[in-house]
Amino acid sequence: MASDPWPGFARPRLVGRRPASAPGELVLSLPSLLWLGVLFVVPTAIILAMAFKPADPYGGVGSGWTLATWRSLGDPNYPAIVWRTIRLSCIATVACLLLGLPAGYAIARAPFRWRQTLLLLVVVPFWTNFLVRIFAWKVLLHPEGFLRNALLSARFIRPEQTLMYNEEAVLLVLIYTYLPFAILPIFAAAEKFDFSLVEAALDLGCNRIKALVLVFLPGISRGLLTAALVVFIPALGSYLIPDIMGGPAGEMIGNKIAQRVFVDRHLPHASALSALLTLSVVAPMIVVLLTRASRSPAGLRRET
Amino acid sequence: MIRACALSTFGMLLAGVLAGCGSDRPILHVYTWADYIKPELIQRFEREHECRVVLDFFDSNEVMFAKLKAGASGYDLIFPSSYMVHVMWEQGMIRPVEAARIPNLRQIDRSYLRFTMDPEMHHSVPYMLSNSGIGYLKSRVVDFQPSWAMFDLPAYSGRMTLLNDMRETMGAALKWLSYSLNTTDPEEIAQARDVVIRWKKNIAKFESEQYKNGLVSAEFLLVHGYNGDILQVIEENDDIAYSIPVEGTSIASDDMVIPKDARNPDLAHAFMNFLHDPEVAAENTEFVAFLCPNMGSYERLDRQILEDPAVFLQPDLLEKCEVIKDLGEDNSLYVAAWDAIKAAE
Repeated sequence: MASDPWPGFARPRLVGRRPASAPGELVLSLPSLLWLGVLFVVPTAIILAMAFKPADPYGGVGSGWTLATWRSLGDPNYPAIVWRTIRLSCIATVACLLLGLPAGYAIARAPFRWRQTLLLLVVVPFWTNFLVRIFAWKVLLHPEGFLRNALLSARFIRPEQTLMYNEEAVLLVLIYTYLPFAILPIFAAAEKFDFSLVEAALDLGCNRIKALVLVFLPGISRGLLTAALVVFIPALGSYLIPDIMGGPAGEMIGNKIAQRVFVDRHLPHASALSALLTLSVVAPMIVVLLTRASRSPAGLRRET
Repeated sequence: MIRACALSTFGMLLAGVLAGCGSDRPILHVYTWADYIKPELIQRFEREHECRVVLDFFDSNEVMFAKLKAGASGYDLIFPSSYMVHVMWEQGMIRPVEAARIPNLRQIDRSYLRFTMDPEMHHSVPYMLSNSGIGYLKSRVVDFQPSWAMFDLPAYSGRMTLLNDMRETMGAALKWLSYSLNTTDPEEIAQARDVVIRWKKNIAKFESEQYKNGLVSAEFLLVHGYNGDILQVIEENDDIAYSIPVEGTSIASDDMVIPKDARNPDLAHAFMNFLHDPEVAAENTEFVAFLCPNMGSYERLDRQILEDPAVFLQPDLLEKCEVIKDLGEDNSLYVAAWDAIKAAE
């Protein structure tokens, strides 16, 4: 067992309830393996390889191999953008969890009739195109718009302040966009959670807050983790939101990649940045997979 | 340049598809910028030459170039900007133009040929000339001066935009410093970089597409943009005005080229000749509000556009304008400066 790096995946065979046939498993997982291989592994490998190629001034990829592109990633202008990307993504993730938790909890605890309606309300925004919804924010936050004029006359903001084209506007729209993705997994986990455990904790002398923190939150940890990932990963790769809502100093990595492709005609550089981004997305996934895998032997023994 | 307008793109494609139903007329495949040819003129060409014109659009030279390099073929006529024509010729992607098949070439205004990279019209024919300048709201920017120094005014802080285009915006700063906008002197580029970093504190954002709408809705009060784009929106809001800074600016020529693998070069030549028919050129100029450098068309133009200094520049101002050239390897000087501008706090 200890030498098996992916014990979690070996579970069906060890449990041995079903006839274990390796060819059968292969056939079952072939479509998804193919899908991942063709649409993820191969393109990622091409991108990675391109990052080691020299660029030609016509926007193509030259022959031979070089490390020059990777060395140029040490450019002192990058840390600011990388830091901004990570910072905004982290804040958006935390905010989505903080907002998604009470929302998911409330939906899970609502009477069945209401639950359907509330869930529908979470999903309704998806019926409108993402880009159209961002442009709707532009209308709301317009410098001559109702909201800014109201804030101005209530003296909440100074006349030279605008609501758009700053980091706060980018954050606002990031949180707005990804909040439904956080609510849904939290709701799914909370719905399956056995709330009599919370009652038991209360009976045994826990106060409400302690019961929530010590019993409820660990109970829905899977949902929280999924929520954090589905917000954090796409936020890291944001391109449109900082492009439309961000100011002159609001660039994120996604915008830099677009500039390298469309303006600088430097594909290897764009590839190196993309590889870096992919790596920083895959790394937390692997950490999560590993922690799950190391936890599963205990669960395995309980099941068998 | 005019950016892709999804609706018109769709309309054109649909029209193309419908027109093609059950016909075996020859097809001319044109790859151009959106909203860049008056649609009625295309229908007229289709009638006169008993053919079908299929339009496909790009919104940047780089995207068009990348698509062709990736193997896109089947286009008969492409409308790149001059610097890209040069690159495409160097790369052997386009074929020489057969002047004998375009009698209307004699109509072309030679004084504008210096703004193209191919003044002999060996492998390209100029289509439209554009320039970049400043669009603003007359009622809100009361102290307007036609100068790049406007971006230094804190009074309009947060309500101005500069083009999100490395060469255009660096070019504006270089012109303001009275340098050439094609300079490769690192010291001059460094000075221009610092000017843009200073301007950056006053602007809402770097914007190449939404500045038109922003100006119409008074979201932005003063924008750096292309003449045709801003002249088009003046029709929606006559409080808008356009002006070219006295320090000079960039002039771009979009040219017509025939790719090496064109399937219908005959029709491509016919279409170039058609677009330079003085009457057609005049109608087209009035529609797109860019300037078709066609001598015969000028007398047919509406006085309003003929006397518009944003379309026909005054000779002394024209003297100070330059074409943005592709700098090849030296492009990296601008990339480094632009990265520093974007990263500056």
